[in-house]
Amino acid sequence: MVLLTERDSPPPAARLRLVRPMNFALTVPALLLLVVFFILPVLSLLLRSVMEPEPGLGNYAALLGSTTYLKIFLNTFVVSALVTVVTLAIGFPVAWALAIMPSRLSSIVFAILLLSMWTNLLTRTYAWMVLLQRTGVINKTLMGLGLISEPLPLVNNLTGVTIGMTYIMLPFIILPLYGVIRKIDPAILQAAALCGATRWQALTRVLIPLAAPGMVSGALMVFVMSLGYFVTPALLGGTANMMLAELIAQFVQSLVNWGMGGAAALVLLVVTLTLYAIQLRLFGTARMEGR
Amino acid sequence: MKNKVIIAALAATLSLTTQASAADMVFTSWGGTTQDVQKAAWADKFTEKSGIAVLQDGPTDYGKIKAMVEAAGVTWDVVDVEGDYAVQAGKAGLLEKLDFTAIDKSKLDPRFVTDYSVGSFYYSFVIGCNKDAVSACPKSWADLFDTTKFPGKRTFYKWSAPGVIEAALLADGVAPDKLYPLDLDRAFKKLDTIKSDIIWWTGGAQSQQLLASAEAPFGSFWNGRLTALAATGVTVETSWEQNITAADALVVPKGAKNKDAAMKFIALATSAEGQAEMAKGTGYAPINLDSPKLMDAELAKTLPDQQTASQVNADMGYWAENRDAIGERWYAWQAK
Repeated sequence: MVLLTERDSPPPAARLRLVRPMNFALTVPALLLLVVFFILPVLSLLLRSVMEPEPGLGNYAALLGSTTYLKIFLNTFVVSALVTVVTLAIGFPVAWALAIMPSRLSSIVFAILLLSMWTNLLTRTYAWMVLLQRTGVINKTLMGLGLISEPLPLVNNLTGVTIGMTYIMLPFIILPLYGVIRKIDPAILQAAALCGATRWQALTRVLIPLAAPGMVSGALMVFVMSLGYFVTPALLGGTANMMLAELIAQFVQSLVNWGMGGAAALVLLVVTLTLYAIQLRLFGTARMEGR
Repeated sequence: MKNKVIIAALAATLSLTTQASAADMVFTSWGGTTQDVQKAAWADKFTEKSGIAVLQDGPTDYGKIKAMVEAAGVTWDVVDVEGDYAVQAGKAGLLEKLDFTAIDKSKLDPRFVTDYSVGSFYYSFVIGCNKDAVSACPKSWADLFDTTKFPGKRTFYKWSAPGVIEAALLADGVAPDKLYPLDLDRAFKKLDTIKSDIIWWTGGAQSQQLLASAEAPFGSFWNGRLTALAATGVTVETSWEQNITAADALVVPKGAKNKDAAMKFIALATSAEGQAEMAKGTGYAPINLDSPKLMDAELAKTLPDQQTASQVNADMGYWAENRDAIGERWYAWQAK
């Protein structure tokens, strides 16, 4: 909120409204909840990263000095980037189609989208496991059709993680993109056509630039969410595709090494906040909300 | 509509809290079929006998135990943990000493008794194979590590724990009595040879799913899970050659609020009857030496305690000493 007022300097009346003590008082319970149940525990974990087993930066040195852990960092970025690109490639046409299709049809598609979003994450991930495994529906069908002779390795590897996470992230890119595309006046595309633009030109020089803010903010959101993902990579990936969140869980739960766990968590937090700062800088909060 | 949902949620929360406050102690284990049996064989009987209500919680989480003890807010009274963790946590001051005036240890298998823990049940890592899916089943650890003779995926326990490293060394020809101290370099070198063919299982249910679907037609399993899977109609072949034993243990976290009840609970759980009931339900072996007498002879034959001919005992003391170092190396190797 503070950022918003500073950046976009709303009219004085609005600014007054924002800082009125009564309104601030209303946020106190939520803030207290955050501080007590979220910020303090996170701080205490971060504190452990420089205090356990002995004070100093030993945990960070161990974390950043090991090729194994660096590989996990790199892998986290590679998987997140891949998921973001695939999600965007699938999500953009869907959002576009949703924006232009008759509302009766689009409400059905929305229902399907939301229903999948509301289904339990574990259930969905296990469903993918059943679909993708060597003896699963997809491989059996392909083999039955004679398209392949050996089952394709679709799970316990990068392919499985990408498929599973893309599926989960799709609504997070389709919904904001839909909002942005809906607001584009169809007359603009007609104007482009009247001016002699081909369909391809209308897409690349008119529609995509206009939808770009939605695409970038959606992509950043998917990327940041993917960075901290745990369940899906753990179940659909192999150990060679381990991501940072899994490493943190391992430090905290299996190795009970909270110093290293805290250090890994801080690295993830710093990366995430940096990306968030970039997002704010590029687009500001106002535009993210589609205003 | 929305109001109704909120009311239902509130009612659910309330009933949960009354349930929790009516419980006089909390038992925590790993969930799944094993904990179902622990509830039926131990907790329900205990409540019947003593009137002390037992709330089930789970899954066991070593991070949580540490957090509870450090914050002096221990809500778990008896916890089912892995044997090597029990030894290590006892040394680290995270556990209460057990009260052996309440718990009769004279009949308990001494392999599974320490000052801080007694065995919960013991199990073996055995070689399991889905007979319908392959032409031949691996019989020994050497077979399971032989990708030319037995091509395809094989499954192993994912977490750093006694079992897989021992199997690798046995497969490489190390004599069972020369296993400890573990030659980690040699073990990882052997594991490297099959690494790309390993699918890791993280829990018992997943191991069964992998085997039943033939996603991995063979691998190393907890024996009880194979018994359970065979009972569902899957054609499972179990090889007990050099089966590697490990045990779960019952412990009381330091500062547990219902210590006395906890000791009595453990006494019942490790009694001849308690252990016999547990073994009947799970296919794991009893740690009470009197239990087999109380069991059906046919069933008793399928348990690890009858498979001692080529049995290899994982050394919990060694693991407790080296748990952290092995763990770090294990996970680093997996992620490579």
